[in-house]
Amino acid sequence: MKSAAMAVAAALVAFGAIDQGLSASWDEKVFASHVDFDAVAKAGAQALPALIERGRQLFKAKFTLEDGAGRPKATQAIIPTKRKHGVNPPFTRTSGPDSNSCFGCHNDPIVGGSGDVIANVFVSEGFESAEFDNVDPTFSSERHTIALMGAGLVELLAREMTADLQGERNDAVKRAWTSGETETVDLVSKGVRFGAIAAHPDGIVDLDRIEGVDADLIVRPFSRKGVFTSLRQFTINAMNVHHGMEALERFGVRWTGSHDFSESGVPDAVTPGDISAMTLFQASLPPPVVRKDLPDDWRLAAAEGAKDFAALGCSSCHIQQLPLKSMIFTDPAPYDMAGTLRVGETGEEIKLDLSTLPFAGQLQRNDKGEWLVPLFSDLKRHLMVDSLVNALGNELQAQRFVERDVFLTPRLWGVGSTAPYGHRGDFRSLDEIIVAHGGEARFARDAYLGKDKATRQNVIAFLRSLQIEATQ
Amino acid sequence: MSAATMTQRLTLAFAAFLLLVAPARAEDAPPKPLGDIPAMHEEAAAAGLNSVYDGPWEFFVGGGGAALDCDGSGFSSVFLAGGKNRARLLVNKSVSGGPLRFEEKPLVIDGAPHTLENVIGAYPIDIDGDGHMDLFVLRVGENLLLKGGPDCTFTLANKEWSFEGDPGWTTAFAAFWEPGQKFPTLAIGHYVDRHAPGSPYGVCEDNSLFRPQPGDAPNYSVRTPLAPGFCALSMLFTDWNNSGLPSLRVSNDRQYYRGGEEQMWRIEPGKDPKLYGRADGWRHVSIFGMGIAEGDIDGEGYPEYALTSMGDTKLQKLDPEAGKGEAPVYRDIAVERGATAHQPYFGGDFKPSTGWHAEFADFNNAGLLDLFISKGNVDQMPDFAAFDPNNLLLGQWNGKFVEAGVEAGIALNRKGRGALIADFNLDGKLDLLVINRGSPASLFRNLGAKNDSGPPTPMGNWNEIRLIEPNPNRNAIGAKLAIKIGTRTIYRTIQIGGGDASGHAGWIHAGLGTAERAEIRVKWPDGEWSHPYRVFAKQFVVIDRTKAQASYWYAGR
Repeated sequence: MKSAAMAVAAALVAFGAIDQGLSASWDEKVFASHVDFDAVAKAGAQALPALIERGRQLFKAKFTLEDGAGRPKATQAIIPTKRKHGVNPPFTRTSGPDSNSCFGCHNDPIVGGSGDVIANVFVSEGFESAEFDNVDPTFSSERHTIALMGAGLVELLAREMTADLQGERNDAVKRAWTSGETETVDLVSKGVRFGAIAAHPDGIVDLDRIEGVDADLIVRPFSRKGVFTSLRQFTINAMNVHHGMEALERFGVRWTGSHDFSESGVPDAVTPGDISAMTLFQASLPPPVVRKDLPDDWRLAAAEGAKDFAALGCSSCHIQQLPLKSMIFTDPAPYDMAGTLRVGETGEEIKLDLSTLPFAGQLQRNDKGEWLVPLFSDLKRHLMVDSLVNALGNELQAQRFVERDVFLTPRLWGVGSTAPYGHRGDFRSLDEIIVAHGGEARFARDAYLGKDKATRQNVIAFLRSLQIEATQ
Repeated sequence: MSAATMTQRLTLAFAAFLLLVAPARAEDAPPKPLGDIPAMHEEAAAAGLNSVYDGPWEFFVGGGGAALDCDGSGFSSVFLAGGKNRARLLVNKSVSGGPLRFEEKPLVIDGAPHTLENVIGAYPIDIDGDGHMDLFVLRVGENLLLKGGPDCTFTLANKEWSFEGDPGWTTAFAAFWEPGQKFPTLAIGHYVDRHAPGSPYGVCEDNSLFRPQPGDAPNYSVRTPLAPGFCALSMLFTDWNNSGLPSLRVSNDRQYYRGGEEQMWRIEPGKDPKLYGRADGWRHVSIFGMGIAEGDIDGEGYPEYALTSMGDTKLQKLDPEAGKGEAPVYRDIAVERGATAHQPYFGGDFKPSTGWHAEFADFNNAGLLDLFISKGNVDQMPDFAAFDPNNLLLGQWNGKFVEAGVEAGIALNRKGRGALIADFNLDGKLDLLVINRGSPASLFRNLGAKNDSGPPTPMGNWNEIRLIEPNPNRNAIGAKLAIKIGTRTIYRTIQIGGGDASGHAGWIHAGLGTAERAEIRVKWPDGEWSHPYRVFAKQFVVIDRTKAQASYWYAGR
């Protein structure tokens, strides 16, 4: 392992991508050096293996004071925000920092995976504002760790869906301006309908019929609520919230007037290149699989369960697969906003062709040559409670404009490896979480409950077969 | 224009001021902005914008214009004063995010070809609430009320609206809707009475207030004098204490008045205007007042004011020791905030500056207000800087301002006067049009953050907002926007007036920095606060008071 790390470091230094710093071989410090984004981008594909390996190291690293861990004078807010009073302790389980490693939570069953309930985190509209010291749902929302397997494919799907939806809107706007008539258009991408908009001839677009996506029509595929656009944005947010490691591109002098906004004692602690390493590592994580080496009884039940899953209506939201046109993962991402590195802020982009990675071989393609990504999600938000079935309505706060009882359809690939279930990890079995589906999913839940035990067990057998391969 | 005694007094005053603000050590370098510097590309000629403001003494001042959407496209066209030259209407033909492009639309007002000569400046305002922006045109002579129609057409409405033009040397204008009124109240500022004995010294014309008379159509037949007048060069209705009743600030040119000062009038419904005096807490300030700008630079909810002058610019903040708006006691914080802009920062001419138009705006979308000041010698005043570049004072996170005019590209050798700050190509970045005396207007397209190693890069996030409410006052003049991003709230107020004879209507721009979302609350002109409207960044947002949800707007080209 040590020799591998040395080889990686040597490779990145060879590309000119890492500043060479002085550190001893036993040093606890993670950032003896930083990744240079421009150098990596310029080096092209040959730099990617080392970059991804560096990302893996950073994902598993335990950040130290010397690295800039902790944010004594800043809150967890996504927008750089100073604490009003006092000094933040090194760790606090509520408003964070609550871990000194990504791996601390994303570890089940492998690096980048989910986590046990012990690793739940607490989010709040405090994300946008201040500190909180209470896990009462009045103040924060407790969340279970989401596995990151296949995240690169997920982000690429979301990018293409965003392009589709915004293109439909732009076309409607142009037609309305030209025709002088109101143009109403359904918003559909990859077979998923996101409601409709009405574009008026004066340029105004009514937004109140949009469904399951933000009003700017950016499909944000990450977090339980679907509020983060890209792995890069998620990484920057998480590094600050959970570790107090502040990325230069969000918390640097450009946006805060300070090189050490959190007053951790380490200026410009995390470079864009470092964030890229972590982003590309996550993007390269292989998607979960359908387990093949099942015992006969499980295999047969799972085969029946797959059919029942569709017949019951579960697949109306948990769509088995969405088609992906391009496997080229570019960094920075196209729809990120200021505070997350953007296209135009770099000379060249980093490009990772996911089709060159080993997992691509397990993906099917359709007759258009599109890659079929078996995520079991529509990447759309839905209301998950009603007056009778409301176990998932246990949050009291909206998050970033998404109402308290509305959630992004979880991706079920890997669900067999990521118990417990639900946004808070409240449900210890798959049967429990299925029965907790209310609101827009109530019909499927009722259909499930209306079936005999054998059919329900078949569904469970099928879901349990969707697993994260523990090869690492 | 200059008087020797006045010049001596000014020079002494300026020297004393320099002692206060000059760096302690010669080797002290001016601070550099820490955030993005907008790359402002001058492209007036390429854009087809060719307009020169010029003329004799009467046109040493003024030089303004109006930016307005006159064709329903959402893009701001411009009406530019020409002084002795004809005023011109230039229709915006730009496309979103593209180079700026304007085409002149010849204006003939009621067959009177000379009507658009001797124009000092203009402000856009929808007086009759018909959805077409009208223009108040400031002139030497009779002022004009131009009623807007479709496709950038205008007709003279002085007679229809019973306005006799309030003739004189008009150099300032402001307007707002008084409570319960269907049509706006107009304040008109005058300069020197050229025909009075002893002119020009000590003979300032009175200013005027025109309140709408009862009826279904605008009727400005009754003039209320605002006396004494002290040679006003800028006026602004401002709700300085958040009382809901704006007062009228007037900035006056001490070059010509005797015993005068800066003024603020209490304008209460149904009552005669009344000057704030010493008993009210109003303090004597005497400057070469040329332009007023209002902005809440610290987000505390009360506006600060920039007042341009010859020499130092004032930056006034409500004195907290005088209570929260209980008395209009202001202290000058220009020195501590680095906003004095008292002499050229570039070019080697270190005589005092001559400041004209002032306006707070966020040019780099950082979420902080910047301060633009147009600069230019009155004409040939030898004791003042001849090369006097415009200022772009970028707001910093420590509350100070830092000059970036050279780096941004706006430090041209021209005599700046009025200015229009608007997003002319609707790309989320504020552009800048400066009307120059004796040379063509400058038009700067904001390309993004200056990048020494390549093309400009994207700047911060932004929103542009338009308010709609039922008539009267359909554009919600006087409304206040509270835009919450994280724990910070940034404010904008929709006003008609201020600056140097220049004003713009249309999209209200706010930089959001790294915020991806914002919650906007509106304090409507009647004082009612709205619920929060949740909006995403990088959108043109239309808030209609009759609708629960904001809409987005998209350009058609």
